[in-house]
Amino acid sequence: MTTGERQARINREFDRSFGVFDGRMRDEQSVIAGQRAGRGGTGAGQGNGNGNGTGAGGSGAGAGESGGGEKGEGSAGASGKGNGNGDGSGTGAKDGGGAGSTGGSPGNGQTGGGGVGGGGPKGGGGGPNTVPPNIPDGSDDDVVARQLREAASSETDPELREKLWQEYRNYKKGS
Amino acid sequence: MMTRLTACAITAVAAFALSGCMTHETRPIPRVNAIQAAKEIPAEQLLDVAVLMFDENVPKDEKQQEKLRIFPEVRKAEARYFSMQMRNTLEGTGQWGQVRVVPADSNALDVQVNAKVIESTGAMLRLAVTVSDASRRTWFTKEYSQPADTRSYKDGGGRARDPFQNLYSEVANDMLAFRQKLAAADVQSVRNVSELRFANELAPYAFQSYLGEDKKGIYHVARLPADEDPIFVRMDRIRERDYALLDTINEHYSLFADNMSEPYTNWRRYSYAEIEARDEAGRQALTRKLLGAAAIIGGLVAGTESNTYVGQAAATAAVFGGAYAVKSGFDKGAEVKMHSESLKQLGESFQSEIQPMVVEVDGKTLQLKGTADEQFHEWRKLLKELYENETGEAVTLPAAAVQTEKKAGGS
Repeated sequence: MTTGERQARINREFDRSFGVFDGRMRDEQSVIAGQRAGRGGTGAGQGNGNGNGTGAGGSGAGAGESGGGEKGEGSAGASGKGNGNGDGSGTGAKDGGGAGSTGGSPGNGQTGGGGVGGGGPKGGGGGPNTVPPNIPDGSDDDVVARQLREAASSETDPELREKLWQEYRNYKKGS
Repeated sequence: MMTRLTACAITAVAAFALSGCMTHETRPIPRVNAIQAAKEIPAEQLLDVAVLMFDENVPKDEKQQEKLRIFPEVRKAEARYFSMQMRNTLEGTGQWGQVRVVPADSNALDVQVNAKVIESTGAMLRLAVTVSDASRRTWFTKEYSQPADTRSYKDGGGRARDPFQNLYSEVANDMLAFRQKLAAADVQSVRNVSELRFANELAPYAFQSYLGEDKKGIYHVARLPADEDPIFVRMDRIRERDYALLDTINEHYSLFADNMSEPYTNWRRYSYAEIEARDEAGRQALTRKLLGAAAIIGGLVAGTESNTYVGQAAATAAVFGGAYAVKSGFDKGAEVKMHSESLKQLGESFQSEIQPMVVEVDGKTLQLKGTADEQFHEWRKLLKELYENETGEAVTLPAAAVQTEKKAGGS
């Protein structure tokens, strides 16, 4: 194997591993967002960040908006940093994982609320759930293939997602 | 003559005091606000802040805990809650980059806030705070003490300003004052050191030469890696994941703090009322005993020196009044015990309520960190391969790094 080939293999390994990690973080943040929603939005200066993911040609970026917090006495909330994920068609909007935290510092009577960032480090885009053509249904996937498929399905970065799908195809051809 | 005057004075003071004219007065505490950024700070001048999970400072000895009225599970919850309050205050100023509550053993961010809880009751909060930056320079170490702003208890509900918000605002303002003294180059240097320390932690063979350290152990940038350095590029992507991990952990803490807010505020409110009642009863008990004794002495002295019927009668009344005051002082002492017992019950009750929430948030944090450790183990391995592939040199990891690897790999 040449140096270039080795580097390409390492890069693929990185991409796969990043995809798995991002997926886990996203899952965790979805759970937290669900729990927060279940709380009913009470509490001091609490806001719920809404991330609007917009995708155009599979390259949209999710952006969290400021949390719309309660107007609390003398509270100024932190800016929301939620990241949203675009839907499968790349045009829809979806609630981001932006989760409001307790209103910030006191005194100026601004609208409270704000968010701790939700979503993964990459913004939403052209649809993580879109399965490209020539991808088998996955019913006979082994552990490695399942991991690759899962990482590709949940990846929001279009470039990385395509790499992961390509890796999946290569793996399925070889297995 | 002097003796009689003294006796009369003592009796008069005792009578005056016993009539209830000595009261404990509280005044509203002026509110301190954290200074907000007047204009947007350029991104390259923003420093990220890690609020390390506050040190709970719970003594191991149970008797000591009881003596200091520390309920360990409540204190654990408070450490998480206070950290979040500190984070929210800093974040709300707009003076900083990302502000995160992080577990105590996390990697360095640009600025770190370390705090230890010295005292926490519904009536008082005392914290020992040390702020430092990634270069290991200590910005300041200071003890902050703040009596409760009782208006927060009166306002009620979870929407009220925190009764100890002044304390968090003061810390934020002190941090800002220090940062404003730093030159732009200093701020940039802190950011670079922070980045290089992270890189050095993951791939010391590639990055240790970029960091220098002076005699005092303060880091500085010796040189910077090239922007297109493939390992450094990978490092940036790993750091993004580290931030994502911290953000996710932070959200758990945030949710915990939100869930805790209402019961905790109620507990503090009731505790405050009991502490006030106990202290007031304690003050009255002591006052009554002291003044009762003074009235008895004064009455006895005046009685021996008085030759008139009226004088004798007044002296006898003073002695009886004093005796009654002493007795009522002891009664007040019993009241003190009653309030102390109420405080204990309140603490135990809140402790049993909050404990499952603390266990849950700690469990989730550990689980996340465990997952991340596995991934970091993999990334370390890949970075090493990448470096070896790039340079053709075989890398031997330092003993400490190997230990970390083994721990993460579970071998």
